[in-house]
Amino acid sequence: MTEPTRRTSELTAYLSHELRNSLACIQQFGNILIDGLAGELSGEQREYVCIMLQNASKIRKVLDSALDGTPDPV
Amino acid sequence: MDSRKILIVDDNADIRLGMHLRLKANQYETFFAADAFSGVAEARKHRPDLIILDLGLPAGDGFTVMERLKQIPFLAVIPVIVVSARDGLGNQKRAYEAGAKAFLQKPVNDAELLAVIRQALGEPAGTKKPTLLDQGSV
Repeated sequence: MTEPTRRTSELTAYLSHELRNSLACIQQFGNILIDGLAGELSGEQREYVCIMLQNASKIRKVLDSALDGTPDPV
Repeated sequence: MDSRKILIVDDNADIRLGMHLRLKANQYETFFAADAFSGVAEARKHRPDLIILDLGLPAGDGFTVMERLKQIPFLAVIPVIVVSARDGLGNQKRAYEAGAKAFLQKPVNDAELLAVIRQALGEPAGTKKPTLLDQGSV
């Protein structure tokens, strides 16, 4: 593997790792709010959290298709 | 009946908190460790019924933790579920070879995680209401 290819591969793996962790937190806490584990939401609040989760789901799909199959960052 | 004890080993504090809230809502008692060394130490201390293990950890990694657990008879029998942001290609196979009961890639679907936990603990399928996201309506 050439040096530029290796560096690109490492960067992609690093980005995938970091984005997956951040996305995991967004989805985790969004679901915690939706499920009322931190108190009941109003209808409007619920709608906004759903929008947030819908978009997190879209990001996940993009990640899965664009960044999967990359080597580990470590 | 006493709550089943789950040790969460992950260096991300937000992930630990999120998992704690979800597991607590499902009547599990949780303990935490943020690195490989503490992971083994907390397992020794609390003797959990199950361990949720990240792979990328300070002071070693998840594979190091599984290797150390295997060397201690009373810890070697604890089921380990790997939950990692690393790619699943090589790591999934390696995790199963190291003795993991399951490999889940972050971000994890809550219903799937709970189902895997229940299966690993030999509990009947849960009655947890799926989240809207799980139902595909979000």
